[in-house]
Amino acid sequence: MLAALRAGDGDAFGSLVDRYHSSLVRLAMSYVATREAAEDVVQETWMAVMAGIDGFEGRSSLKTWIFRVLINRAKSAGVRDHRTVPFSAFDEDDEKEPSVDPSRFQTGTRWTGYWSAPPQSWAGIPEERLLSNETRAFVDEAIALLPAMQRAVIILRDVRGFTSQETCEVLGINEVNQRVLLHRARSKVRARLEEYLESGVPS
Amino acid sequence: MIQEEIRCVEMVEVITEWMEGALDDDTRVAVEEHLAICPDCTAYLDQLRATTEVAADTSPPEPAPDDVRARLVAAFLASRPSSGPAPDGG
Repeated sequence: MLAALRAGDGDAFGSLVDRYHSSLVRLAMSYVATREAAEDVVQETWMAVMAGIDGFEGRSSLKTWIFRVLINRAKSAGVRDHRTVPFSAFDEDDEKEPSVDPSRFQTGTRWTGYWSAPPQSWAGIPEERLLSNETRAFVDEAIALLPAMQRAVIILRDVRGFTSQETCEVLGINEVNQRVLLHRARSKVRARLEEYLESGVPS
Repeated sequence: MIQEEIRCVEMVEVITEWMEGALDDDTRVAVEEHLAICPDCTAYLDQLRATTEVAADTSPPEPAPDDVRARLVAAFLASRPSSGPAPDGG
């Protein structure tokens, strides 16, 4: 693929666009305010990929490089947009926040630290409800409300199915950071989904 | 870290590391022993797994709009004049 691109093969470039364009737009949308702005960011990304293809050293995969370019463009666009989202891996000041509401655990008994209000099994929720478009849209929204780095990590890992290594390469963070961010993100989205599924009218 | 027992309140903090296979052996064993006897934490783990399943984008990638794709490919070809068939004089 890389050789074909360097040789100026338009079909090879077209297939790259086919493969990644919509994913790039979706990821960019989590950084900028509008779909239009996201498409601009993706356009810039493709232009940067064209310009950079000869200098690309192949230390990461083409895919992680393209997404890394996108993230960098999206960050600056987000700043231009005044969508003030902090981007340092250390900006998320909720690291000490518990993953689950502390009131759900017992205190002052010999079972301190064990569940008092345990999670319910979702096994009885029909798949057509759990995986409905409505539930998916709710989860998308919960993801959109996360701090920027947590959002980026959960989108790459869980939405797009990147490996942890790919995610680290795209975002320029280490494995430990990546896991902390993934943990915060998943814990919060689970909590929102729990509220949603258990408050909604059971089908 | 040597850990004989782990409580639910700690389970929910280390569960992602366990899912990622990133725990040291002692803690990993403690987590697995806890899961074996705690249906509530097992339910919590199942909820986390279900959450990732709901989050996963399973729809096939929608292709770029034709005009966008065509413009990008044209820009790409124009960016590589040396290898294209276009006589550039250069």
